[in-house]
Amino acid sequence: MAPLPISDDFILLVHESINANAMVDHVRTGGDGAIVTFDGCVRNQSHGRRTLYQDYEAYESMALAKMREIAAEVHTKFQIDRVAMAHRLGRLEIGETSVFIAVSAPHRPAAFEACRFAIDTLKHSVPIWKKEYFEDGAVWADGELPPVPQDTPTRKSAS
Amino acid sequence: MAPSNVKTSIRVKALFFGGLKEVAGRAEECVELAPGSRIEDLFAQFVSRCPELSRYRGSLVASRNQEFAAWNTTLESGDEIAFLPPVSGG
Repeated sequence: MAPLPISDDFILLVHESINANAMVDHVRTGGDGAIVTFDGCVRNQSHGRRTLYQDYEAYESMALAKMREIAAEVHTKFQIDRVAMAHRLGRLEIGETSVFIAVSAPHRPAAFEACRFAIDTLKHSVPIWKKEYFEDGAVWADGELPPVPQDTPTRKSAS
Repeated sequence: MAPSNVKTSIRVKALFFGGLKEVAGRAEECVELAPGSRIEDLFAQFVSRCPELSRYRGSLVASRNQEFAAWNTTLESGDEIAFLPPVSGG
């Protein structure tokens, strides 16, 4: 199902640095009393091994569609105003921002809850993968399997 | 019995991502299959050429045209099917 059109939201994948200020400005309106942001960044170690850098790849068309679905769901679950969500792809150095989410709302509880829900949902349902590079090699990060429809005994009819 | 214009094969695009792409040795490939084939059959065709892939079957999800899909989903010509290892964005 296509998400509802929410023209005030701002959802993107980028190959350059994420402009966090622009995203915060995007969600800021006169009716809001709170903006909550999440800045996910590249850590310098993983399970005790020193990380040199990380490389992100995505199934871009599906990732964007899933990110838009998350934004649409956030609007149905929480009393919020606007959502801005960006994920960066390609090589990222230590400390750089890989994902940034900003949510505005009239009151802060909804903004906190919506931002938390958005990043948690992104991490287990958006088709993006991270490869971690160490001094002695590289590995694809352990991930989460998204929930998927289970096999049905009969052919599903189109819906 | 069957009408003469019945298609004898369908053509779909298969995509591989993350570590699976390295195991499969390809990012994408167009594949011809018998009509009525399911996502499971498409994956089995790749396994027959690259047996190493079978080890990953239990830790993958599939999508059809950018939506997560069950393994017994029936394919149609023109479908874009992706095999997705556990996601690790964020």
